[in-house]
Amino acid sequence: MSDRSEADRLAQESALARLVRRPEAGAFIVMIVVVTMITFASDFKAFNALGLKNNLAIIAQFGIIATGAALLMIGGEFDLSIGSMIGFAGMSMAMMLKWGLPFGLGEATPFLAFAITLAMTLSLGWLIGTIVVRSGLSSFIVSLAFLFFLRGTTEVSFRLINQSTQISGLPDFKEQSWVAWAFGGEMFGWVYDAWFALGGNINRRGEQWVDGFDARVLWWLIIAGVAYFVLSRTQLGNWIYATGDNKDSARANGVPVNRVKTSLFMFTAFCATIFAACQVFDTNTADAAKGNLMELNAIAIAVVGGTLMTGGFGSVIGVAFGAVTFGLVANAVFYIPWLDGSFYRVFVGVVLLAAVFANERIRKRITGGI
Amino acid sequence: MTDPYLRVENVVKKFGPFIALNGVNLEVYPGEVHALLGDNGAGKSTLIKTLAGVHRPTSGQLYIEGKPVDFRNPRDASDAGIGTVYQDLAVNQLMSVTRNFFMGRELKGPLGTLKMDVMDKIAHDEMLKIGIDFSDPTQAVGTMSGGQRQTLAIARAIYFGAKVLILDEPTSALGQKQQMEVLKTVKRVRKRGDIAIIFITHNEIHSQLVADRYTFLALGQVIGAGKAGELSHDEIRRLMAGGAEMKDLEGELAAI
Ligand SMILES: Nc1ncnc2c1ncn2[C@@H]1O[C@H](COP(=O)(O)OP(=O)(O)O)[C@@H](O)[C@H]1O
Ligand SMILES: [Mg+2]
Repeated sequence: MSDRSEADRLAQESALARLVRRPEAGAFIVMIVVVTMITFASDFKAFNALGLKNNLAIIAQFGIIATGAALLMIGGEFDLSIGSMIGFAGMSMAMMLKWGLPFGLGEATPFLAFAITLAMTLSLGWLIGTIVVRSGLSSFIVSLAFLFFLRGTTEVSFRLINQSTQISGLPDFKEQSWVAWAFGGEMFGWVYDAWFALGGNINRRGEQWVDGFDARVLWWLIIAGVAYFVLSRTQLGNWIYATGDNKDSARANGVPVNRVKTSLFMFTAFCATIFAACQVFDTNTADAAKGNLMELNAIAIAVVGGTLMTGGFGSVIGVAFGAVTFGLVANAVFYIPWLDGSFYRVFVGVVLLAAVFANERIRKRITGGI
Repeated sequence: MTDPYLRVENVVKKFGPFIALNGVNLEVYPGEVHALLGDNGAGKSTLIKTLAGVHRPTSGQLYIEGKPVDFRNPRDASDAGIGTVYQDLAVNQLMSVTRNFFMGRELKGPLGTLKMDVMDKIAHDEMLKIGIDFSDPTQAVGTMSGGQRQTLAIARAIYFGAKVLILDEPTSALGQKQQMEVLKTVKRVRKRGDIAIIFITHNEIHSQLVADRYTFLALGQVIGAGKAGELSHDEIRRLMAGGAEMKDLEGELAAI
């Protein structure tokens, strides 16, 4: 023997075997199955011009918050306040747009409403992160406290200032304000123009049917793209992995573990704020119940995308696949007449459980099977 | 003969009323392996934590190349060239060899992107220098053997400028064959000639295979020290047992 070394025991794999073992492989297969099934069950309606727009709208919503949740989970923490943060941010923006800036500082432009809200939510994210790293308490419980606190604050503020927990009929700011347009407008119009030119995308009167995708699709692509780049190609990405894997050894090697975690909590707050801004400027409404349960959807999508509950491992691409899957299933009821909408939750339960088992197998394989 | 790179002079460390180290002296020379031996609780870990900047001595003085130094934190110590490889090694299992190697000290190109190719090559070459030919630097550390992980941690400490390499019981958690791998690694580092190694162990056989110099600790004090050629087998065994005669211990055992 003897000229055999330890490294020889690592079997050489083919490119295909490597691909199958990637963390996002499972999410990819589930996505393909779901896309195929919904395509046929909906009689192709889910992917006609309007179906594609509507499906991508919810996929993008899921994708935005799940990307934030996944990065934080890879860094080793949870944020259960995402949903309440969405409600809080939406309330804050709509209220400023309707009632003006706080302290009677005059009318709010969409830009100011967004900027002030973002400053507040980032501060809240910083606060949650700081409490978690300073106290050493589980982020599960700290962010659960903020789930209640923020939802309650949102409702109380609405009733105190607005007398009602809803705002509707705000003027449409998209015409005058590029900020409002960037969140609530339509993008990629050329796709639908081309589609129309090629003879599709036609309504009953023979005109062009759909003009573009929701702006949130672009936000999702930007957020996911940046997250992918940061995680795989930058120093910060290495720090996120290191922090989530084993924070003590990360610290011993000079990684600023606390700063990494706090930044990630701020990032989930950022994602929640983008989610809310797209909603407010698209529909010109707000509601204290917005974003309800979104934190759990985000975590479920992150897990289905291959993110480990224990941190240190995950894939932004897998999360994108997960968002596509969840978005399509959530919307399926609109294209498949016989389908009961509650099958969405049945589906989520089953897929989530399967994903956790699959992820656990991956973890065991990497860490030597203990 | 060369001067010691690191000198420990009369170091006392008290934890409240408890005297963990009571006037310890130690000299470590580049190109030498200095075995630090002693029973559980003798104060070995306390001593190396003092060298690594984790503890500050209650009294006494450390010298690097003859100049007095005061380490207020681990950063100070590592800046002065003290590289400590603790028993848990401070590696992350889910991350690749390269990502572990450069953890916290990544090489960045323009735009702050990681120079992954350069880092892969350095990690590979540095580990090869001390004995492991790692074909795939993207392999997760969790799939490596204990001996390989030890090598990774040692190669990392050396690459980032360790002049004194402190190994805290590097062989204790390993199987026979891997223990030998680690001892080989230690000898390869020694052969470079510019690095002083402090090798902590319980195992007299391991210490005799690699050590140039010995220091024996018992109850916080140095009870014996010397060069490899100057100490007999029996003397080493006696000092390892905290100064008790092995014959006496065997006699006590037999009497029960
Ligand atoms: N931080 C501490 N506070 C109080 N006592 C300590 C501390 N660290 C070590 N000791 C004590 O100092 C003695 C020496 O411990 P240690 O240096 O860990 O021994 P060794 O590594 O040789 O087994 C032990 O009795 C231990 O209980
Ligand atoms: Mg010890």
